[in-house]
Amino acid sequence: MSASQSAVRSRAEAVAVSRTFDWMILFTLFFVVLGGYHIHYMLTGGDWDFWADWKDRRLWVTVAPIVSITFPAAVQACLWWRYRLPVGATLCVLGLLLGEWINRYLNFWGWTYFPVNFCFPSNLMPGAILLDTILLLGGSMTLTAVVGGLAWGLVFYPGNWPIIAPLHVPVEYNGMMFTLADLQGYHYVRTGTPEYIRMVEKGTLRTFGKDVAPVSAFFSGFVSIIIYFLWHFFGKWFAKTDFISDDEL
Amino acid sequence: MAATTESVKADAAEAPLLNQRNLYAGLLLYLVFYSFIRWYEGVYGWSAGLDSFAPEFETYWMNMLYIELVLEVVIASALWGWLWKTRDRKVMSITPREELRRHFTHWTWLVMYGWAIYWGASYFTEQDGTWHQTIVRDTDFTPSHIIEFYLSYPIYIITGVSSFLYAKTRLPTYSEGLHLMYLVSVIGPFMILPNVGLNEWGHTFWFMEELFVAPLHYGFVFFGWAALAVMGVVNTEVMAISKLLKKDLA
Repeated sequence: MSASQSAVRSRAEAVAVSRTFDWMILFTLFFVVLGGYHIHYMLTGGDWDFWADWKDRRLWVTVAPIVSITFPAAVQACLWWRYRLPVGATLCVLGLLLGEWINRYLNFWGWTYFPVNFCFPSNLMPGAILLDTILLLGGSMTLTAVVGGLAWGLVFYPGNWPIIAPLHVPVEYNGMMFTLADLQGYHYVRTGTPEYIRMVEKGTLRTFGKDVAPVSAFFSGFVSIIIYFLWHFFGKWFAKTDFISDDEL
Repeated sequence: MAATTESVKADAAEAPLLNQRNLYAGLLLYLVFYSFIRWYEGVYGWSAGLDSFAPEFETYWMNMLYIELVLEVVIASALWGWLWKTRDRKVMSITPREELRRHFTHWTWLVMYGWAIYWGASYFTEQDGTWHQTIVRDTDFTPSHIIEFYLSYPIYIITGVSSFLYAKTRLPTYSEGLHLMYLVSVIGPFMILPNVGLNEWGHTFWFMEELFVAPLHYGFVFFGWAALAVMGVVNTEVMAISKLLKKDLA
């Protein structure tokens, strides 16, 4: 083998080159997916994610999982189909949470002075771990869509409960009873203050009393299955390596 | 493969496969620049950015907008023009080692694109949400927009197109035509900038500050999906690099 035929001088250099590319690819994939996923999530479910007083038992539980299963499904499709790597969902959610936490601390708090315990992001990690684990153990994207998609919706509220529970304790203020999260929102007025737009806990589902959150989670899981199927096809399409030939231009 | 005295001398003389100084300098450049921008926002957002009719708004924010727009056009023209002007017209005849070196330079561009996308699509976009939830707006050119739409988005567009041009003009892998997903991953996020036209047109009619998830913003969402096309670029690159290293890794 002559030097001109080989790109590297030795096997050791080939291994080192390969590892360096791995890091550069991981960095790029992580931050590009972070950017795309974050802009998608903040503009489809962002208001529920921004504020503690939007994190209710009904629409937050319904909306957040449905709009957030998109990118994990697409990235899982590529990484599993091409490389048998069951880490797509975790990669997406780690990226999203990093982007959100940096923003909530440096901008929501650092620029506009909303306390972090009022504008912390939702926790999507339990669902991401479940999605990747089901794909790893099952080896099937169909199984991951059905079982994982449902689990993604069902686990969202329990996964956030330890964080949100202290803010859902009842308080009395000026003769009215509401939650501590509502009281935070009352003092930190924004254009999206729920009392103004009246979206939080809207509807008659609350007549089910304690069952609101589980029913919403179940519905969310159902839609998440469908969204997973759809977005795994998107992921396969975005992973294509096709060229448009000069003749087609 | 045994290394001879001659080949060792040649190795010492040739350029490294990956220019790490460029890589880290690029990452640091964006970090330092955006840290300065964030400091500027913090100081002049509240003191001079609340009323677009105030003279200080013109001084600190509109002048910033004019300066950045001029600089962006100049930098984009110079960079893209240079990349095209210095293109390799015999790209198919380069040595495998030179091809590998160019893949590393290409990946330096892609790393910078990822870094620029983070600042634009994540950091400054969500920041805009909290600014408008707090301040509302009386102009399209708010302090957060002057940074988000007209600075951070053009920077990732300039970086992404440069990356695409580098690949197209210097790598044999991309000489057979236009790589569809590379186009999508660069043009999709680029389209977020023209979509600002729809966004601002809508906001002129309706304040719509109550909901960051308002349907008026869905154009940004749609074009944000195009970021996923980076997976197609990754797959193509993995195939090309594997081809170069396959026999040495076997």
